[in-house]
Amino acid sequence: MMITLVIDNRTVQVPPGTTVLQAAQSLGISIPALCYRQDFEPSSSCMVCVVEVEGFSGLMPSCALMAEEGMRVRTNTPQVLAARRAALELLLSDHIGDCEGPCRSGCPAGMDIPRMIRYLAAGEWTKAIEIVKRDLALPAVLGRICPAPCERVCRRARQDQAVSICLLKRFAADRDLQSPTPYRPICRPSSGKKVAVVGAGPCGLSAAYYLVRHGHPCVIFEQKDKAGGMLRCRQLQEKLPEEILEREIGLIFDLGVSFRPNQKLGRDIYLENLRRDFDAVFLAAGQGAAEEHLASRLRIKDGHIEVDHSTLQTSMEGVFAGGGLIGSRRLCVRAAADGKLAALSIHQYLTEGRAAGEPWEFHSRLGTLTEEEWRKFVSSADLIPRVEPAEPEAGLSEEEAVKEARRCLHCDCRKKKNCKLRQLSTELKLAIGTYKGQRRQYARADSHPEVVFESGKCIQCGLCVQVLNRNKVPEGLTFRGRGFGMQVSAALDEAPDKAAGQAARLCVQVCPTGAWALKNR
Amino acid sequence: MNALTESSVREFVDRCVEQIGSTPDKTLPLLQAVQKQYGYLPPEALQHLSERLARSPAELWGVATFYDQFRFKPAGRHRIRVCVGTACHVKGAGEVFEAFRRHLQIPREEDTDSQRLFTVEQVACLGCCMLAPAVQIDDVIYGYLSPEKVPSVLRDFLSQTQTAAGAAEQKRLPGGTGEVRICLDTSCRAVGSHRVYQAFEQVIRRDRLGVRLRDVSCHGASYLAPLVEVEAGRRVYRYGCVKPSDAEAILHRHFRPQTLTARVGSAVRRFLDTLIEDRIGEPPVRFETTIRDEDLSGYVKPQVPMATDGAGRSGPLDWEDFQKQGGLEALRKCLFEKSPQEVLNEIEQSGLRGRGGGGYPAFRKWQAVRANPETPKYIICNGDEGDPGAFMDRMLMESYPFRILEGMAIAAWTVGASQGYLYIRDEYPLAVERMKEALKIFSQHGWLGERIGGTDFSLHLEICTGAGAFVCGEETALIASIEGRRPMPRLRPPYPSEKGLWGKPTLIHNAETLSLVPAIVRQGAASMASIGTAGSRGTKVFALAGKVRRGGLVEVPMGVTIRRIVEEIGGGTASGKPFKAVQIGGPSGGCIPASMADIPIDYDSLTQAGAMMGSGGLVVLDESDCMVEIARYFLEFTQRQSCGRCTFCRVGTKRMLEILERICRGEGTAADLGKLETLGHLIQAGSLCGLGSTAPNPVLSTLRYFRDEYEAHLQGRCPAGRCRALIHYTITDRCIGCTRCAQHCPAGAIDMQPYQQHQINRDRCIRCGTCKAVCPADAVCVESG
Repeated sequence: MMITLVIDNRTVQVPPGTTVLQAAQSLGISIPALCYRQDFEPSSSCMVCVVEVEGFSGLMPSCALMAEEGMRVRTNTPQVLAARRAALELLLSDHIGDCEGPCRSGCPAGMDIPRMIRYLAAGEWTKAIEIVKRDLALPAVLGRICPAPCERVCRRARQDQAVSICLLKRFAADRDLQSPTPYRPICRPSSGKKVAVVGAGPCGLSAAYYLVRHGHPCVIFEQKDKAGGMLRCRQLQEKLPEEILEREIGLIFDLGVSFRPNQKLGRDIYLENLRRDFDAVFLAAGQGAAEEHLASRLRIKDGHIEVDHSTLQTSMEGVFAGGGLIGSRRLCVRAAADGKLAALSIHQYLTEGRAAGEPWEFHSRLGTLTEEEWRKFVSSADLIPRVEPAEPEAGLSEEEAVKEARRCLHCDCRKKKNCKLRQLSTELKLAIGTYKGQRRQYARADSHPEVVFESGKCIQCGLCVQVLNRNKVPEGLTFRGRGFGMQVSAALDEAPDKAAGQAARLCVQVCPTGAWALKNR
Repeated sequence: MNALTESSVREFVDRCVEQIGSTPDKTLPLLQAVQKQYGYLPPEALQHLSERLARSPAELWGVATFYDQFRFKPAGRHRIRVCVGTACHVKGAGEVFEAFRRHLQIPREEDTDSQRLFTVEQVACLGCCMLAPAVQIDDVIYGYLSPEKVPSVLRDFLSQTQTAAGAAEQKRLPGGTGEVRICLDTSCRAVGSHRVYQAFEQVIRRDRLGVRLRDVSCHGASYLAPLVEVEAGRRVYRYGCVKPSDAEAILHRHFRPQTLTARVGSAVRRFLDTLIEDRIGEPPVRFETTIRDEDLSGYVKPQVPMATDGAGRSGPLDWEDFQKQGGLEALRKCLFEKSPQEVLNEIEQSGLRGRGGGGYPAFRKWQAVRANPETPKYIICNGDEGDPGAFMDRMLMESYPFRILEGMAIAAWTVGASQGYLYIRDEYPLAVERMKEALKIFSQHGWLGERIGGTDFSLHLEICTGAGAFVCGEETALIASIEGRRPMPRLRPPYPSEKGLWGKPTLIHNAETLSLVPAIVRQGAASMASIGTAGSRGTKVFALAGKVRRGGLVEVPMGVTIRRIVEEIGGGTASGKPFKAVQIGGPSGGCIPASMADIPIDYDSLTQAGAMMGSGGLVVLDESDCMVEIARYFLEFTQRQSCGRCTFCRVGTKRMLEILERICRGEGTAADLGKLETLGHLIQAGSLCGLGSTAPNPVLSTLRYFRDEYEAHLQGRCPAGRCRALIHYTITDRCIGCTRCAQHCPAGAIDMQPYQQHQINRDRCIRCGTCKAVCPADAVCVESG
């Protein structure tokens, strides 16, 4: 005997015992939900999955509401959408944590610094360089010359001194360069499209590197005889040994990038030819290069090529520009970041027909911590002074790197990529701070060797409580108190991670946010 | 308290488990037993209980931490619970609470004084609203408090601890020529009715007056309590606000002493007409009014007693009285004459709707439970009346316990339930005691238990006491609470009639609804259906309190206007000025302005007006009450009581409260008003249970009717002069230089200047209002803006 109901004017038949959420799913209507998890008792607490049902005055949580004969459900009315948004905004108003650490936000290339540091602290060098190279094509170079804006925003400075991020990155890169089998990224198979990159400075090199990773073969045209651009300027020579530069550029070329030296724009090569011969063009020839040639062909603003800053698309279709051509780029890492962004945009342009740039992501902020909270916050790090390399020339030794890495406070969320709260907030383009007010105290339980619990990120879904009950964990978890101050707790306020014991990993699995997380992610 | 040893704690827990049991529904009683023994829940006890109950320690921890009753660190020897219910709040409970803390020099972040003698807490509502502000110290309740009375209350308590508790109830004196009737329910005791009772008893014994002294059901006129009714020579005389020292004079006026010495003495003491003296505040619980019968009749006349039938006459636990008043007639009819279907029809035709708040038709619940094939079925009486400002159910349970039990039996018989619970608030110890006693008597007479009246109907009832969580008044939370789980409401459907207690069909009604059932069955559906309005039949009991001259419990026909209740029954405001608004329905209800006082009180009109019947609290507000502050007060309450499940209620009410607090401090912005409305509507729609979905009502209704007051606050002005951040006190030239304000000022903000106009140092002033309260010349005034 099947139940027939109508969801968004579409009729569906489901067996008894089906929830409205599941019934909607069977129609291909996805209702977002945070606290819901299949095969678990619905906690119907987050109220993100609410729907309107004829005959009920309020909104109903579709995760717990059983489908009934003749039910008429609407999942996308203005009231439902407003409630969904507000539920998330309210949850976020009491959410204590950064999605990304301030260092990553401060890095023009957006390198995932905390993750790199976690791998370094664990001695996992390969994984560390893999993380680095997701965002930086020339880390050994930048590890020597970057003024490190990341360190300027590092929270650790409140305690003593910022973490030596730049040196740590250099360590990871140097160690990789010196290894007989340096890290080689897995590149997508060739798309068959060709891209011309004009300029072999940090911007062009980065673009080439990531274009190849995206599967687009490319040719770099450089007006000088060697690649490197401004990296070869006199001011940097002291800090940046030629050998390092050569080797790191070499790694890029090894991926299958062809290099054409002594090709000057407007003299040897022309934009219209490049446009004709290649599927896309990236201009990264540096400040003031080929002014006349480009100015007559592309729209110029304030002395620079005008681009859409989110995609680096110029006024000519298929032509992108970055680096000194589009603005002042005193930081190499800024130029490198342009290259990476251009590669992504060009990839999007070539595969989807339209460049969209880096997708926007929601970003929760930790806010200001009180002195008491701060003490808790720093307690997971080694409270030793900043480690200075014994031999400054050589950078950090392995031992020093691990020591320094352990000073990191891990401001970022370990589940930034698989947090449902963030995903949904991104999807709905939420802003932070709609409902400001008192928030919980920052707290962290991290006595467990692998798992950390940060109650400030908990949305009170109770899935961890359930999963421990199911697995008959003797101590177990519960909610303590009620209302706004309610939180997941173990008996007598014991640490939740300790009470979860062996089953703590299960909590991580079911937790929809970053409240329960693996320490080393 | 002696030092706890682990073994002694374990031993105690073992003893409790043996006596109480170890089924899940005994979780709460066991925790309560431990708390009672130690004043808190020692960790060892929790640990051991978890072993004995075979539940994880976390589970027990989750349950215990949900309730306000349980403490996890030792308390002082005596527990002071300052009532912060609506009526107490508007009469300055906050200041009283602070005065206790100040007087006992309790440090910030602590709740117990350094000698560990007193622990000071707040309690949602003691249900003594007409005696506001009220305070409970251990089992003794004090009414009419003010900050300056705090020292004398504590003195009185410490001197009375041995004698005050447990008045002479049920000790019936031999009957004689006349009868004296005194109500001994909670709120009457709070103004000393038990002491009056003792005094009467003493005089009657001493002088061998041969008068029958009885404790009777509540007369409802709390404003006259302690009220003594004397029946002599077929006439009834009533005395209001009686003091123990009046006993002799009153008795001797009506009855001749039998002993010679007494007769001589009484001649001297005959000065009844000068009895009315003025001794305000000494001792603290008493006050004086004149005794005027027309006053009382104005209060009583418009009322229609159904649930409160027999008020002031019958003994609450008097089995004969109960039967004389038609008790058991209805149950007998059911068992021996009618079919369940007939009774069901009767309930349908009567139009009875739930009196607990939502007003759901009783008939539909009964039918659903009856039609459900699952067994066993359960019946629950919801006596967890938590609305601050409401005490109808308390009074009904204290005064008419048999009636409620009969109603339960009838309902159980009709729907086929065989087991049940009465869930009563822990803040109502007397109600628990009386219901327990009534249950015993009912069973002794064979009207509960196996094969009642020789039929095959059996019904077993148990009493369960709450532990200080307002949300337990919500039916699914209440069921979870009985089951020993964390009482968090869940999504309905399924309703309790499908899946209730232990997942079985359950009929759940509040005490007032059940107490109306016997009369409907006895007198027929028409007896109820003929009263009230089309959608709301019968009567409703209201707790009338606040700034009203005559307050107490009133039972009126549905459809009566607010104006009639406030002006006719209540006699208008105490100050004689027009009332400003009426707060109906407590935290779920709203404020209805005086301009709308002519709307009839029934379920639908109130909902339309943005209020709600709620359980029937009716607090009258006058121009000294700030509507923004009232809204803030209720939201603070619901926010504190939220179970924490739904995001909207858990976080949303908190955010609304923060906005209101800002506005009360004069820091609000125009955008805040819109935000309050948006959030309010979202919380209404997006909360699972009644607590959340009605929590914004007090805010939305005041925004609707008193927006100008909100706007005044945005400009830094509190028109009612209540919001502390926006007011200051000044002393006018009416000051007579008596120095009382300076003597009582707890902040030392007034210098003593005999025979001169006093002045308040604004920097030191904490705006507690004590100076204004003690000034005999009305020279202290509040200014705002």
